[in-house]
Amino acid sequence: MPNNPLVLGPIFFPLSAAALCVLFARYRRLQHVIGVGATILGWLSSVAILLLNWSDGMQLYRLGGWAPPYGIVLAPDMLSAIFTVMASTVVVAGALYILGCRDKCVSYPAFMPLYLCMAAGLHGAFYTGDIFTLFVFQELMIMSSVVLVAISDNRLGVEAAIKYLLISAMGSLFLLLGIGAIYASFGTLTIADIARLLETGERPLLAQTAAVMLMCAFLLKSAVFPFHFWQPDFHTAAPTPVHAVLSSVVVKVGVYGLFRLTSLLFIAEAPLVRSLLLLLGIIGIFFGSLAALRTYDAKRMLAYSTFGQVGFILLGIGWGTPLALIGAIVYAVNHAFIKSSLLMITGALASRMPNKSARLSDIAGAGHKLSVMSALYLIGGLALAGVPPLNGFISKVAIIRGGMDAQSWLILGLAVAAGLITLLYVVRTWQHVFQRAPETELVLKPVGDSLVAPLLLVGLCVLLGLYAVPVVEAATIAVNRMADPALYIHAVLGG
Amino acid sequence: MNVIYAAATGIMFALGVFQLLRRDMIKSAMGFYILFTAINLFFFAVGAFNGQVPAYSQNLPKGQPSDPMVQALILTAIVISFGSYAILLGLIAKSARRYRTADLDTLNHLKG
Repeated sequence: MPNNPLVLGPIFFPLSAAALCVLFARYRRLQHVIGVGATILGWLSSVAILLLNWSDGMQLYRLGGWAPPYGIVLAPDMLSAIFTVMASTVVVAGALYILGCRDKCVSYPAFMPLYLCMAAGLHGAFYTGDIFTLFVFQELMIMSSVVLVAISDNRLGVEAAIKYLLISAMGSLFLLLGIGAIYASFGTLTIADIARLLETGERPLLAQTAAVMLMCAFLLKSAVFPFHFWQPDFHTAAPTPVHAVLSSVVVKVGVYGLFRLTSLLFIAEAPLVRSLLLLLGIIGIFFGSLAALRTYDAKRMLAYSTFGQVGFILLGIGWGTPLALIGAIVYAVNHAFIKSSLLMITGALASRMPNKSARLSDIAGAGHKLSVMSALYLIGGLALAGVPPLNGFISKVAIIRGGMDAQSWLILGLAVAAGLITLLYVVRTWQHVFQRAPETELVLKPVGDSLVAPLLLVGLCVLLGLYAVPVVEAATIAVNRMADPALYIHAVLGG
Repeated sequence: MNVIYAAATGIMFALGVFQLLRRDMIKSAMGFYILFTAINLFFFAVGAFNGQVPAYSQNLPKGQPSDPMVQALILTAIVISFGSYAILLGLIAKSARRYRTADLDTLNHLKG
């Protein structure tokens, strides 16, 4: 497979635009236009990579022209291509939101470059075929998001950023230790080469230790049960566009890692990992949904709900049958669009409040006269709960089909029951905010953040609900190709 | 030699975790850096003892060349950990000025 320079697009455009934005630090409007343009270019190239993947199989780019086991390779297969299209779509929506955002922090000269660096790290983490480069891209993403949260308008931003930096340091530590252990046992860092050596069944002393380390790192990234406590604090303090990206796609980096871990690298150990993921998934679903039900802040409620939704994805990976894996991918993609649109609507509502708060006690009845926002929130909320004909319904059906295929009735029953809680908290919040008249006189600001970005995302949710074929078909192809790890290994290493 | 490195890495990990869990933010930042140094030492031990001569030089002496990959990884890891350490210290300075404390226990406005 020859080098395909398009693979560089989703990483190159945001990174170079970040450098340009630093140069034009004095011209805020120009910065924002450059940022939106670069994210759109990145999105276009990620879509092109997905289509090329669809027709011709994996695309490759060997950095510096070095052949894979020696050099670094960017190797997006169908799975990474799907995840990157999902990520870059949300990133474009976030950049559009920034254009119409009235937060003070958005006008800082450092905001747009940091946002673009976060996007580049996110896309790179999905694309890379080298495990150390995965660490580097992840650190790029973490560092930029930490600073973005620290400069947030929310006074708690700095505190949340310290908390997250210390926690994510633990995550990076696990990842680095895992990488070191893998290098000690196999002497290579290319994912395909590691997979080839693991396939032979040979297990040097540190190989299984490395599996545990990598799993801890990925679970921490996607805020799964024992490693979850930082997530609501950190996400709630973030500026709205950053919160939308963090809560919907950054948590998926860990999910993506778990996909790779169970279906490409440690296949022999996968049954053990899967049973653990099922347990953690079901705990996450219950904990997340119940915590979302009793929390005091609309943004925090959505952050908690991410636990529950990631739990559903873990169930799909945990069942591990082809249908369940398709369900997990479809769920991951749809959840990203739903969650980011809901977060942007909540942020837009909070921007109309005099004190910018999203506390449920403050915003009770605040949306009484905002009919467009109310309709968007209701559609997004129903999609989150999985009501037809929205895309959330498609993902719920895909997951349930996977559970039926795996014959795991108890877990399936628990998951469906917990899924109903989602409906409860979403509709309750909608009524609380948009249906009641306010008890005391509420004076809203005349203009708030623009609703263009959430409008696009909600439109996408409806569209993917009515016409879900492309997502499901892409996921099916991805799972079919993942079923044969030799395909990935041969495509990267050649021969 | 490997035993010494294993013991040193272990001790540094223990120190780092102990410091990271302290109440004082400055001390936990130090623990953060000690932990990353411990990992660098671990990486070094992975590839340090297979070779006797440098991987690249003008007149290569005879013998098994050492692994240049590990050194490249350590350099990258040092740069990254240094960057995060700088950001962490900056954030701690900011929050210490704002809340007049460096005690993690009094910094609990996020609870809920």
